[in-house]
Amino acid sequence: MKFLPFYGVLEREMVRMMRQRTRLVAAMVRPLIWLLVIGGGFNAVVGNAHGMKYQDFLVPGVLGMTLLFGAMLAALTTVYDKESGVMRMMIVAPLPHAWIVLAKMFSATLAAIVQAALLIVLLLLLGFFRGTDWWILAVAIPTASLMCAGIGMVTASFSRTLDNFAAAMNFVIFPVFFLSGALYPVQTLPTVLKEVARLNPYTYGVDFLKHAILPASTVHDFSVTLDVVVLIGFSLAALAVASWRFSQEQTYEPMIQVLAGKRG
Amino acid sequence: MNLPQAVSGAIKAAGLTKQYGDVRAVDNLHLEIGSGEFFGLLGPNGSGKTTTIHMLATLIQPNTGSAEVAGFDIRKHAVRSREAIGIVFQESALDRTLTVAENLRFAGLLQNLPPRIIAERSDELLELFGLQERRNTPVAALSGGLRRALDIVRGVLHQPKVLFLDEPTIGLDLPNRRRIWRFIEKLRAHTSMTVLLTTHYLEEADGCDRVSFIRKGRLVETGAPRALVERLGNHIVEIEGANIEKLAARLEPRLGSFLCEGDVAMFRWTREDVSELLRLQTEFSSDAGSWKVRRPNLNDVFLWIAGGKALTS
Repeated sequence: MKFLPFYGVLEREMVRMMRQRTRLVAAMVRPLIWLLVIGGGFNAVVGNAHGMKYQDFLVPGVLGMTLLFGAMLAALTTVYDKESGVMRMMIVAPLPHAWIVLAKMFSATLAAIVQAALLIVLLLLLGFFRGTDWWILAVAIPTASLMCAGIGMVTASFSRTLDNFAAAMNFVIFPVFFLSGALYPVQTLPTVLKEVARLNPYTYGVDFLKHAILPASTVHDFSVTLDVVVLIGFSLAALAVASWRFSQEQTYEPMIQVLAGKRG
Repeated sequence: MNLPQAVSGAIKAAGLTKQYGDVRAVDNLHLEIGSGEFFGLLGPNGSGKTTTIHMLATLIQPNTGSAEVAGFDIRKHAVRSREAIGIVFQESALDRTLTVAENLRFAGLLQNLPPRIIAERSDELLELFGLQERRNTPVAALSGGLRRALDIVRGVLHQPKVLFLDEPTIGLDLPNRRRIWRFIEKLRAHTSMTVLLTTHYLEEADGCDRVSFIRKGRLVETGAPRALVERLGNHIVEIEGANIEKLAARLEPRLGSFLCEGDVAMFRWTREDVSELLRLQTEFSSDAGSWKVRRPNLNDVFLWIAGGKALTS
């Protein structure tokens, strides 16, 4: 395993993230709006349930939202790389091509973790995260980020152009987010939605965050062990699928043709 | 001819074939390029140049045939052979959002080079290519010529044994094309790199040790540029006039096969003595507008091959 190329991909992701301030600001504003505006609004409607304010229940959900958006957007830069030609730099490097997928997946994970850390600092200043088990959170964030990056890499491996990006937002991010336990406990959902949420790997990521952030409550849907098994299992499966898609000759060769300009 | 012999064989291809649906992009290609050789692969659009380079650079798999680049089998040791090659694509392979120096750092890290080495070589190469004062400029703000220069720096940062240049000057204006060529010459003077070049601008291939012409995926002619030009003949006779096809057909028994371009017909003249041509001109003076006799060049070789004619009659 070569370390330097891996580091190079991560470093580039960080440099780009810090340079695109608006992307970073948006990543902070989005969850804050959900938590303070929507959370505050629903607080007044639903009052206390499961022995806590709705706004407090929402904290793991919006943290999960940051992980999902952060990792997805970073993973989808793979599509930008394909279009802009940066992928050419990577495919000529002396590395197995599946390795590129792994490096991109890790850099998406890292992007999500950094954004989550920033959000946590903001929320701490606002007085949230009381009673949080920080040790569990330190494991839950990377594990859930890796799962989100996995969803992103699979999506990226199936989209050939940036036009697919908007589609990915609508058809992947939103269903994944809404059909999970991020906004409501899974236990109390109607049967059909409950079953869909159970099939959604993101539900287990949010559940893991609930264990970390609300350890004393009864809003967890699954055990920590099940969460970890599902998250790791899904991440490995996603890595396998994305690598397979990238290495597949049918998908890969037209990509080369596009990358290299016309065939000649 | 005093040519570098393919002793260590920088590139050896045997029977490379690539099929896309019904189209045979590259057809049973045999190629042997020696260490340190400057080799040009020339041919019209769609003749298979780029596909050939992509197969040799392990980016696409040939259907049949085999090749070795820098001693590594491109099928069995794709990753190892990628270590030994540099490639500059027709289109840029740079991150426009990063600066010049950041791009080189990223490219170098991908090649597993330690940051210290990357910094040293970037300095050296940016100096050589006149990009030093732009090192902190975002690539998006560079002109097309400078961006191409940076692309070449990116391609040679890891000091490859074999460099593939796929149309390195395409889309550039003349001053920038000349500048890119000065860089490539400097690079070749500094290193013992083998260079495989494809280009449309045939005058750029004049400096090659050898060139191969490729047509419909097949190699048709290979040789030193001067030798190929000499094989075409001593002179090219260009005759311009109305109804040129008719006239050319009448001249064919006397002058051999010809090429028609618009209202100009071109014949080859293999002898040094042109006095007979003057007699012919007088004989046909009533039909032809103007006769021009000139020395052939690589463009003529290209046109002759692209026209599907044999070089020697």
